Amino acid sequence: MAQETIYPGIPPSILRRMGKAVRMGIGAAIPIAQQNNVDGIIIGTANGGMEDCIKFLNQIKDYDEGMLTPGNFVQSTPNAIAAQIGLLHKNKGYNITHVHRGLAFENALLDAAMLLSENPHHQYLLGGVDEISDYNYNIDWLDGCFKKEKISNAELYNSNSDGTIAGEGAAMFLVNNNSVNAVAKINAVQTLHTTNEEDVRQALKQFLQQQLPAAQQTDLLLTGENGDARQSKCYIAAESLFDSHTTIARFKHLCGEFPTASAIALWLVCYLKKLPQHMIKRQGTASAVRHIIICNNYRGLQHGFMHITLEQGLHNSI
Amino acid sequence: MEKEQLKQQLKEQIIQFLNLTNLTPNDIKDDEPLFGEGLGLDSIDSIELIVLLSREYGITIEDPKEGRKILVDINTMTDYIIGHRTK
Repeated sequence: MAQETIYPGIPPSILRRMGKAVRMGIGAAIPIAQQNNVDGIIIGTANGGMEDCIKFLNQIKDYDEGMLTPGNFVQSTPNAIAAQIGLLHKNKGYNITHVHRGLAFENALLDAAMLLSENPHHQYLLGGVDEISDYNYNIDWLDGCFKKEKISNAELYNSNSDGTIAGEGAAMFLVNNNSVNAVAKINAVQTLHTTNEEDVRQALKQFLQQQLPAAQQTDLLLTGENGDARQSKCYIAAESLFDSHTTIARFKHLCGEFPTASAIALWLVCYLKKLPQHMIKRQGTASAVRHIIICNNYRGLQHGFMHITLEQGLHNSI
Repeated sequence: MEKEQLKQQLKEQIIQFLNLTNLTPNDIKDDEPLFGEGLGLDSIDSIELIVLLSREYGITIEDPKEGRKILVDINTMTDYIIGHRTK
């Protein structure tokens, strides 16, 4: 479960109506939205306020489609996160929410990239948010998403059973074309729908050839490996493309599995000064990290690749 | 149910329905205005209160003018519940 803050930037009268996803999203967005004039807000979320949504649906049933409270309904729509950020900061610009399940964040990122190519001087608030709550945990549990046995985060990758651990989180970014003081450059994003690991391998191979021609090498591969035996084949296929130069690392023991977890992966590579040992699966020979590939999939079907370049000196050697 | 018991129950229900998690029943005075300066509730809360009266006490408020006289404070709500409750 996400450790929520007290959200000092959200008025209590508004905070009490917010569902968890809305609180997390706004809490993560406030530092960026307060300090920067953004031309638009672009959020990726698979479920939005799922808890409120299911509460509202239950009300419809429990009260026989009679008198229903508006709060749960208002907060349950996925676009409530972007809308509330816009309302709180009086931002009347572009405001959109992408809901492509496990590729919601990648599609939000793609949208931001297209907008920046059309409006080179604009900047946007980009984020990924998803919550876990009793209702959607139980639904996903019944769908076989989570491990039946108790497992510690530290043991996640040693498990051979089906399922993973539940997660949730919110990560927000300020994206623009200005390289001054930039933490990282997002060079490309690509998405793919397949359950076939060879398709993943071929698509990633092509992505690497386009992104890292000739002498350039991937210094870090950050994968969304999540301890689910059913999904490991896709990550093994992806890892097979990288030689001993590349360090391979994982992150889902930190945040669990959720549809927009790739936003957390991006946040980690942007802000970690040094990769902690517990993230490293295989130490590579690269002395510094510049080119990073994030390779994530959701439920073995929705795959996303991102190529990130870090400005030299931001990352220590791993 | 005694009137004072009903007031206490109503305060607990208001806290629950409106998610006023930073308040306890003791923080809500019987004659404190629910809207505006008092508890600071707004129009969406008024709908939540109307739903509360319907679900918990079987009271239907259809006339908005009537609602304004009922949803003033805990005292007015309690008096109306005592006179009109169907459950």
